Amino acid sequence: MGAVAPVAEYQLKAVFLFNFAHFVEWPPGALTADRAPFVIGVLGKDPFGNSLDEVVRGEAVGGHPLAVERYADATRLRNCQILFIPAAELAHLPEILESLKGRSVLTVTEGPAPRGVVIALLKEESRIRLRIDLAAAKANNLTISSKLLRPAEIVGAGS
Amino acid sequence: MFARADSKPGTAQQCAGSSSIARDWRNLAIPLLTCMLAAHAPETAAQSTATASTGELKQLSLDELMNVEVTSVARGPQRLLQAPAAIQVITAEDIHRSGATSLPEALRLADNLEVAQINAHDWAISARGFNANLANKLLVLIDGRVVYTPLYGGVLWNVQDCPLEDIDRIEVISGPGGTLWGANAVNGVINIVTKSAADTQGLYASGAGGEQLREQEDLRYGTRLGTAALRVYGKYTDYGDEVTSAGGNAQDAWHMARGGFRVDGEASAEDRWTLQGDLYNGTEEDGAIGDAGQSGGNVLGRWTHSASGGNSLSLQVYYDHTFLSQPFAASPPAQYYTGFPAASLTDNLDTTDLDFQDSFLWGARQRLTWGLEYRATHEADFDPSVVRFTPAALDQALYSGFLQDEILLATSVSLTIGSKLEHNDYSGFETEPSVRIRWNLSSEQLVWAAVSRAVRTPSRYDHDLVVPSGLVDAPPPYQFPSAYLTGNPDFKPETLIAYEAGYRAVLGSKLTGSLSTFYNDYQNLRSTSLTPTTATYVFPYPVVFENNLEGDTYGLELSASYQMREWWRLHLGYDLLRENIHVKAGATDATGATNETADPQQQVVLRSSMDLPRGVTLDAALRWVDTVWINNGPTGGAVVGIVPSYFGLDSRLAWKVSRTLELSVTGQNLLHDHHPEYGYPSPTREEIVRSVFARITWGY
Repeated sequence: MGAVAPVAEYQLKAVFLFNFAHFVEWPPGALTADRAPFVIGVLGKDPFGNSLDEVVRGEAVGGHPLAVERYADATRLRNCQILFIPAAELAHLPEILESLKGRSVLTVTEGPAPRGVVIALLKEESRIRLRIDLAAAKANNLTISSKLLRPAEIVGAGS
Repeated sequence: MFARADSKPGTAQQCAGSSSIARDWRNLAIPLLTCMLAAHAPETAAQSTATASTGELKQLSLDELMNVEVTSVARGPQRLLQAPAAIQVITAEDIHRSGATSLPEALRLADNLEVAQINAHDWAISARGFNANLANKLLVLIDGRVVYTPLYGGVLWNVQDCPLEDIDRIEVISGPGGTLWGANAVNGVINIVTKSAADTQGLYASGAGGEQLREQEDLRYGTRLGTAALRVYGKYTDYGDEVTSAGGNAQDAWHMARGGFRVDGEASAEDRWTLQGDLYNGTEEDGAIGDAGQSGGNVLGRWTHSASGGNSLSLQVYYDHTFLSQPFAASPPAQYYTGFPAASLTDNLDTTDLDFQDSFLWGARQRLTWGLEYRATHEADFDPSVVRFTPAALDQALYSGFLQDEILLATSVSLTIGSKLEHNDYSGFETEPSVRIRWNLSSEQLVWAAVSRAVRTPSRYDHDLVVPSGLVDAPPPYQFPSAYLTGNPDFKPETLIAYEAGYRAVLGSKLTGSLSTFYNDYQNLRSTSLTPTTATYVFPYPVVFENNLEGDTYGLELSASYQMREWWRLHLGYDLLRENIHVKAGATDATGATNETADPQQQVVLRSSMDLPRGVTLDAALRWVDTVWINNGPTGGAVVGIVPSYFGLDSRLAWKVSRTLELSVTGQNLLHDHHPEYGYPSPTREEIVRSVFARITWGY
């Protein structure tokens, strides 16, 4: 019995994204200006409804206010710190990863993701589990807190 | 298994002059009977929209977040909006909040089932009618293990149980599912899925007690085993006696203990495996003729490979043993009558099953799914007296394969065609094809239609039963029948062609609903034929099973859930069923075509779920079940009695004291001191008493 009654899937996933902002360290140059927003991007059709906006409203990380941006497709990607790639977009994953190359973006997807995406939110039975690809994190220059690693399933370690 | 009671003297008994015979064989025949009620439909999307606030969620640690359950908003409706069938899903939360203590009680949560309690330990459960004695048109699986008995094609609900808190969901499909599931999936499929061991980590303990539910304890512990997860559990339940309609003690108290384990692991990111097993032992107390017992166990292993693109392979093997024993009182000898000694009917059943399934995309528009299954059963029955099966021991094998193709005709339209081909030892090859079409009018609305064939293959009851008369030494020139009732080696499968259509929708953020309609055309239904009499053979026995009934049924199943307030959800379920079963032209039936049905025409359920302040929840379910017309068994003639229509009310009040502790009080059957839900009217028909119990639950 959890402490919390069941919640909508994307409401929960939105809260996970919010948490990631706190448990991942971006390299120094990732956020340039002092008050530049910390951007959580959503690619393609947004499955969150308004729950992601609700989660980030009034929140900041390291002095950077959180903001949500939406991108219709990979060609329209702009600077963001976290990019959520919904399951429906996974078909375009190679182009997406290509366009992110060299940028320190925490990529997050859902479902059984192929390698190369940093965090996968896996729905198992009725709960969300995390799978973290350390190799992908390293390639993107991201340092992931042990607090986040501990409950997650790790792949790509040692590469 | 075998209910006592409910035995109005039938013609067999009058004829034999022995008061116990008719009752004795009916003890076998009556067990699982029928009827209905309904309860709630769980594909409630709305139900989950209002729960924890975003602010609350943001306060949780990562560990806690990973323990939060995602509701049916995502799981239920979205998936159900792709399902072209009359499916309802009972969620773990529904079960918890209902206060149910056993699987049959939890099944009252499905609007599309008929659920009637016969006595303290026996239940009659069916979908779309035919909830007669020994209802036999439902397929029930627990974690992929088929649990209907080949003895008569029905489910022994006093044997089949599991810790309810371990259930992830129960999928209830009304209508045929033979294309995927094979024989017996005629009128419905119940698929009980327990949680992965990874989702039941830590300690959980629950204890309940009251007057009717004398006690129930659940204990579970889950831990990691390297990369795998393990849980072990124990459950003990002790139910008190019901009463008879004459007001006496029904002497049907019983208790059941069970324990088991489940291990889930991952061999790789794409390969998962499960190993699980259970053991149980139960006793139905009877001071007069001795205790009846049920015991058994099973072990199951499954390996699943899920590749990218949704391709998957699975291989499953299980072994299951059940043992049942039902004592019968001695029947003293008399003139012309040998009598029968006191004895126990026992049934030993061993089942081994191997199942393989593969599903893959074929081109851009088709998904092919195919599978193979082999099931071997060894069944040994023993009773030197009143009810026999010949041969007493029987080995049977079932082979089957199926192929199904889901074709995407347009973005929102798909056509699924497929068939099962199955071979059984009694009737040979059977085919169970179906065609289903799904049209998603929008992402929130689904229209579907289907035509399917399904088969109820012969059971040992149809084929091998003998109820001996014990009559001897007829004065010449007269002859006595040697048996009252016999199976028939030429018994054919019962077949169904079902025409179905339905609509399912998530309407706005508050309302979800589904409507399913069906027209079922049955052939070769089980009938009973009297033996012709002559001047010297004067008793029309034995009654023999034949396939001389046919007919049609039609009806609808409506479910709707409405989120009145953030904290208050309402649910409505309604079923309508019309049955027109008749004797084939030129044939006869000893019961006037009344022996296969015992169903209410209508049932209604209204359920309310409230989340009150300070962790208090209040749930209530009010149901109304229409009159059931029920006959007195295959040798009882064409006489029909009724189970009166009734209102039933169950309610549960719970207080979540802390994150780990919950206290609750549950009341069942609150409107009556006692009332019958099933059975032919007689002084010994059992009535279900009011039950109130308190429960304390602790878990982390």
